Amino acid sequence: MGSSERKSAGVLEPTMYTASMMAMVVLIVLAACADLCNGVTVVDVYRLVQYDLAGVPFGSRFASLNHHAASSLFSSGAGSGSGSGGGNSAAAADLSRTVLILPLRELNLALIREYIGQRKILGGLLLLLPSIFNPKNVDNTGEADHTPAEDVSRDILVELEQLLIHANIPYPVYFAFEHDDINAVLVDVKRNDVTGQPATATTGGYKLVVAAPEPRKIGSPAITNIQGWLPGLKADADSNQLPTIAIVASYDTFGAAPALSVGSDSNGSGVVALLEIARLFSILYSNPRTRGRYNLLFGLTSGGPYNYNGTYKWLRSFDQRLRESIDYAICLNSIGSSGDKLWVHVSKPPENAYIKQIFEGISSVAEELGLEVGLKHKKINISNPRVAWEHEQFSRIRVTAATLSELSVAPELLESTGGLSDNRHFVNEASVVRSVKLVAESLARHIYNQDGKNINVFADDSSLAVNPSYIRSWLNLLSTTPRVAPFLTKNDPLIMALKKELTEHTVEVNVQHEVLDGLFTFYDSTSSQLHIYQVASVTFDLLLLLVLGSYLIILFSFLVVTTRGLDDLISIFRRPPSRKVKTA
Amino acid sequence: MTVFHFFNCAILTFGPHAVYYSATPLSEYDTLGTSIKAAVVYLGTTLVKLVCLATFLKVSESDSFDPYQELLKALIGFIDVAGLYFALTQLTHRNISQNHKFQAVGLGWAFADSVLHRLAPLWVGARGLEFTWDYILQGLEANANLVLSISLAALGSLMWLRKNKPKTLIPIIYTCAGIVATMPSITSYLRRGLGWQLPKVVGFELFTSLVMAFISWQLFAACQRPSS
Repeated sequence: MGSSERKSAGVLEPTMYTASMMAMVVLIVLAACADLCNGVTVVDVYRLVQYDLAGVPFGSRFASLNHHAASSLFSSGAGSGSGSGGGNSAAAADLSRTVLILPLRELNLALIREYIGQRKILGGLLLLLPSIFNPKNVDNTGEADHTPAEDVSRDILVELEQLLIHANIPYPVYFAFEHDDINAVLVDVKRNDVTGQPATATTGGYKLVVAAPEPRKIGSPAITNIQGWLPGLKADADSNQLPTIAIVASYDTFGAAPALSVGSDSNGSGVVALLEIARLFSILYSNPRTRGRYNLLFGLTSGGPYNYNGTYKWLRSFDQRLRESIDYAICLNSIGSSGDKLWVHVSKPPENAYIKQIFEGISSVAEELGLEVGLKHKKINISNPRVAWEHEQFSRIRVTAATLSELSVAPELLESTGGLSDNRHFVNEASVVRSVKLVAESLARHIYNQDGKNINVFADDSSLAVNPSYIRSWLNLLSTTPRVAPFLTKNDPLIMALKKELTEHTVEVNVQHEVLDGLFTFYDSTSSQLHIYQVASVTFDLLLLLVLGSYLIILFSFLVVTTRGLDDLISIFRRPPSRKVKTA
Repeated sequence: MTVFHFFNCAILTFGPHAVYYSATPLSEYDTLGTSIKAAVVYLGTTLVKLVCLATFLKVSESDSFDPYQELLKALIGFIDVAGLYFALTQLTHRNISQNHKFQAVGLGWAFADSVLHRLAPLWVGARGLEFTWDYILQGLEANANLVLSISLAALGSLMWLRKNKPKTLIPIIYTCAGIVATMPSITSYLRRGLGWQLPKVVGFELFTSLVMAFISWQLFAACQRPSS
């Protein structure tokens, strides 16, 4: 009986064992994978924008990264002309297989400019930004809270951003935010650099790896305009169409890192102001007695950084009657930083009656609010494709328009479009409130024919007061949502939220999807994860091998001696037994 | 570089087994068959243990130390002893002395354990870019485990195979065997209950394994004396 049992067990056993082996191996592999993730530092990184402008490549042209880390451009005197490294410039370090980690605080902009200008090759560039520039780092103070030191680094960042955007950089460039893990790595890397040895596989150090696929072109980037319509009160016998006032703000952004371009000021502040103005007037227009004899048209346009392409498309979609009915348009652009000076930018001469009327309306309210408002006239050159202000798109179709902005001069292409340095910390909620009051009050006076009179429609503590918490919540939302148009889908949550908000305040909301035309081509892969591995050097491995080898030899000798005796050990090595050992 | 590191760790993990086999008289008496049989028994035992663990243990979400669960785990761990009993007494071995039999069984047992528990993590982990001491420590752990397995096999052979042993030593033998058999639970308690770091745990394992090996050696020698 026993033997038969054993036989059947013998048949069963192999399959059971293989099954158990499989189960074990799967378990072990899973456990090992879980273990693996512990030792590695993983950091969120944001890639420098990659785009083509009329076929000319700009930005960071690569995404994947796998190189050792270094902390200084000229750690080995790489022939920089910086003066200090002149002595050993012959030993120019080859940095083509090295990732430089450069903290913004210690950045030497001139050196970077030179390095990028000369198109020297790097393995990659990792720029560490102070955490104040992290859009996720939002507190609800409502005040613009930043120290003078941060202002300085902001200025550097603005310059750096422009430099990087307009350069063609043949290696991956990433942004990350300072925090403890990466700072610890940086300290280590710096210490290695000080000893003078370049970080290579033989000296150990850190390896930075970003596993990202090759960036792909984004086919036909979509732009989405949202418009809200608040009809005015028509008199019974009036057959004429009511005049329309348009309030417009472009909501999208552009910056060195698309995943970080939240643009709190440019143009988050304009969008927030527009929403608040829509809310205020929706209260007024909901009651027939306070409903004005003007239609109000609210437009949230996209494509702002690209010569206001969305505004262009939006205006072209108007029918003739609507276009002719527009009395004037006010564009809101960057009105949230804490200065006391705003500018009204126009493209018709200041002597023009309409312009005069708009400006006087605004400046009289501004005086009461303690604001200073200046008028700036910039002629449009039709042959120049550059559209610096949103109102210029209106002016091109002969609609009177003005842009209210804190910027005193027209920005260049892709400048002041809500990039890296433009976030919640540098936007003052009180300024936005004041700007909202300014625009809403001047509009109301115009609509209700109270021009020049000192009445206060939107007085504080009234039911029509500007709501700071509404402004704060929208400002916080926009300050955490990157809004680079090519990376926003048609049904992006942000677009849906803006549409829903306008639906609540206006009677008719239309969403217009268009394709961004012009000469821009964008590439994806805007953010990914950086893995920082601490790697051992070859010398360490060699040493370890040596130690292990001697350990095994000693173990062998010990075992032979204890189990078989010393003589056996000696006979293994085939040496004639010496007398000394024998006597011992 | 990383393949090199893998190679190093593999030497540390599996080298001592090979050295033990070739350095001791095991190789002279060709006890490889016995070791392989022991390894196969180990696989079967592990399967039974897995089934028991899956049946009786709750999957804990947290990594905390639950005494009841750990007690259950320790009890299930005694299946190992049953497996070892089977390997030592029930299997037909080639006619080799008890002295070599337990060594061969312990060696096969430890080697199978190392292959099952350490080879795959090593293959996946040590070839990764990140350098950690974990795999070197794991190799040291394999060394400690080899010593413990052989000690347990030695004590087992004393318990089950040797008939005329000094009466006074029997309780000592059983206590030692109990301690050695509960070593996995003890280390698990140290690691998770007390939150020891891996280097400390491995150091403890190495130390206790050497102590237990010394004690079982002394016991074995003490039992050897009257019979000879």
